[in-house]
Amino acid sequence: MPEATRDLDAICAREPIRIPGAIQPHGALLVFHPVDGRLTQASANASSCLEADVRIGMRLCDLPGGVELSSHLASWDFVAEPVFVRTYEISARRYDVSVHRTPQGAIVEYEPADPPRDGSHAVQYPGTRAFLMQLGHGQSLAELCATVARHTRQLTGFSRVLVYRFDPEWNGKVIAEDGDGTLPSYLDLHFPASDIPAQARQLYLLNRIRLIRTAAYEPSPIVPDTSPVDGRPLDLSMSALRSVSSVHLEYMRNMGTASSMSVSLIVDGRLWGLISCHSAQPHHVGAQARAACELIGQMMALQIGALERAEVASRAVELKQIEVTLLSRLSESLSVVQGLRDNPDLWLKLASAQGAAAVLDEGIVTAGVVPDEAFIQKLAAWIYEQTDEVVATERLGELAPELGAPEDVASGILAVRISQLRANCLIWFRPERVQLVSWGGEPRKVADVQEPERLHPRQSFGTWKQLVKGRSLPWSDIDVLGANDLRNAILNVVLRQAEERSKLIEELQRSNKELEAFSYSVSHDLRAPFRHIVGFSELLRDRNGDMDERSQHYLANIIDAAMSAGRLVDDLLSFSQLGRHSLALANVDVVKLVEEARRTLETEQAARKVHWDVGPLPVVWGDHAMLRQAILNLCSNALKYTRTCEEAVIRIKGEKLQGETVISIGDNGVGFDMAYVGKLFGVFQRLHRAEEFEGTGIGLALTKRIIDRHGGWIKAEGELGKGATFTFGLPVRDKEATT
Amino acid sequence: MSDLRPILLVEDSAKDMELTLAALAKCQLANDIIVARDGAEALDYVFCRGIHENRDPGDPAVVLLDLKLPKVDGLEVLEQLKGDAMLRRIPVVMLTSSREERDLVRSYELGVNAFVVKPVDFGAFFEAIQDLGMFWAILNEPPPRVR
Repeated sequence: MPEATRDLDAICAREPIRIPGAIQPHGALLVFHPVDGRLTQASANASSCLEADVRIGMRLCDLPGGVELSSHLASWDFVAEPVFVRTYEISARRYDVSVHRTPQGAIVEYEPADPPRDGSHAVQYPGTRAFLMQLGHGQSLAELCATVARHTRQLTGFSRVLVYRFDPEWNGKVIAEDGDGTLPSYLDLHFPASDIPAQARQLYLLNRIRLIRTAAYEPSPIVPDTSPVDGRPLDLSMSALRSVSSVHLEYMRNMGTASSMSVSLIVDGRLWGLISCHSAQPHHVGAQARAACELIGQMMALQIGALERAEVASRAVELKQIEVTLLSRLSESLSVVQGLRDNPDLWLKLASAQGAAAVLDEGIVTAGVVPDEAFIQKLAAWIYEQTDEVVATERLGELAPELGAPEDVASGILAVRISQLRANCLIWFRPERVQLVSWGGEPRKVADVQEPERLHPRQSFGTWKQLVKGRSLPWSDIDVLGANDLRNAILNVVLRQAEERSKLIEELQRSNKELEAFSYSVSHDLRAPFRHIVGFSELLRDRNGDMDERSQHYLANIIDAAMSAGRLVDDLLSFSQLGRHSLALANVDVVKLVEEARRTLETEQAARKVHWDVGPLPVVWGDHAMLRQAILNLCSNALKYTRTCEEAVIRIKGEKLQGETVISIGDNGVGFDMAYVGKLFGVFQRLHRAEEFEGTGIGLALTKRIIDRHGGWIKAEGELGKGATFTFGLPVRDKEATT
Repeated sequence: MSDLRPILLVEDSAKDMELTLAALAKCQLANDIIVARDGAEALDYVFCRGIHENRDPGDPAVVLLDLKLPKVDGLEVLEQLKGDAMLRRIPVVMLTSSREERDLVRSYELGVNAFVVKPVDFGAFFEAIQDLGMFWAILNEPPPRVR
């Protein structure tokens, strides 16, 4: 709110509307002491109005017609709200007399009665009954409002009757109108909250009807100005004749209305709206007709409450169905993420949103139209900072301008937090709905230039159109309810899955133990027979140096076969051990690993011509022993598959990138068909016959497992006859990644 | 070197025993080779008790100890040997099929002098036994011992 407007509203809030110290002069007001019943205060016009000598200290029965009135009053229980007693003829004039009790005394108000034409119950009753008959017959809200406007105008004779509804910010909108054409139509116009300040709204809750017979009246003061009972000004909150704020009278004059009446529409204790009546000329509505209007207002409010509850209930039923379906699907699916991903429509419908996102440990899942992931992350962090569990706003841009929310997707968000500890949440998005709002005049009050403390209402009520941007449709209570229910359901699913997971982990640990025992015994017992075969075959060969060639060949085959079976056992064991050993992470110098591998391999390949092209290599973060194995495997592969080349070229390169270190080892060997690239890293997968290239088929699987255990990736590229390149990436140390 | 002390081979597998003996024979070591077929017997030997109660006195030059043994396993034998103030000086070589890291770690914790994974390749096994035999049975002078 701009500074100036706030100041003006503050001035408004100070208007003494409940204790104006005066009444509208078309009637007279008398106050009788709560104990002794003597007159304590009276409006200055009382004597002339009642054509009697009104004096402080007199009794009601001393006044003309007072004997009859006081005998009537004696049989009445005084109540806090004004009660119309009856119409009295006093000094040849007809007065409607109302009475109510306040701590300062009994307030008796005299108003000139309507002419008998429309002043009697006989006339009003059929009209009111007709109206009541129409209620509750499946009328929509619009129909109800139109009926009320029409009926109220018939009943009161005002030129124009509006039904005026407040929005959550107390701006009003005219939603129904009935008029004779003498006043401009205000249908569909908006009026700013400042037109009816908070304290006036407060009074509307208390006193449900207010009439201003003419905006051009001269107030008649209450004399004396303070009550002898408590020394305070007379509280006129419930008075029918209460004089209104001069600002309001000016407002009326600016609007071109000389008289007005307002009936409060109170739904479930909340000021829902007003029935607002105007005429260009001064206009009076008698106490009986006003009472009928008040009754209409109450009936209407009850009906609105019923309509709203019915709407809420039917939407709630619809939502509950969506919710039940979604929840049952969620609990059936493998994970919350999967469940949400598989049911985007239900997820969106739950909060009538165009987009939805779930920020979970597993990542972000979205449905419908949503902002980009970076924004969702930022938003989740912001939601996490908020104090409320639920954030529902139709104007995120205004609430958190620092986020820079994309209006076309996320003008409105409804968010519920899932976790207290992490920025996990569910978010629904609604796009901007650009609205052309027609205001009844520019919604600003004007401060007096000469007297800043004096306030003037706005001058113009000509339609003033405003484009409202950056707002979505607002979220209803039901939307929030649905969001909360989904949150609880997800928590339940997560909890259940955590339980299942811990069971699974238990089982895994058990089977891991079994596997460990198995591989332990394999390492002892399976290797031994192979060792024995080789050993005894060797001994046999030693003892029979003169064996014929074929026998020697057979023996060599036996030894070969047993040796390779032994190697297979060894390789399988190292493969299975890899998963069990924890990583001893440290800085590892790849240059050293490559040199080591070269030395190991060169002794085996001494006769070959191999050109090693080793570029500068970075230091990586990993397990030294495991990485040594990986580098050795890759170098050994490169060497093996270049065996047929005249000159083998092995290129090893490395570079440090953002967040990872990448090493590649390429060769100019036999290569492979990319069609089989998927098989390359599988256990026992071979792309060549064993006679061509020896090996157990575990080397690359082992290498991949090593890289996987480091949280890295590995890929292979190759072409038949042109060589192959293996590239792997290892994440950099956590500390480096965050700085 | 008239009193060459014996080598104690602790091995339950007949085949492994035969192969080891063949390898040792190839080294042409002059030492006697005593074979114990399980951990309990090995302990009886070193502690001069049970069937070995009346054996010739003197500690073995080296104990070649298989890890997986019936009754009392290799690690336990090692633990008892290394836990004895006198016997702890006898060099113990763990011979094993196991490539299990935890066995290796445990053996060194218990004070093993060498740990050899029996290679499938007999040539390599032979070399290993030969090296071990040479080193522990001949070259390695035992510390003086007071009895």
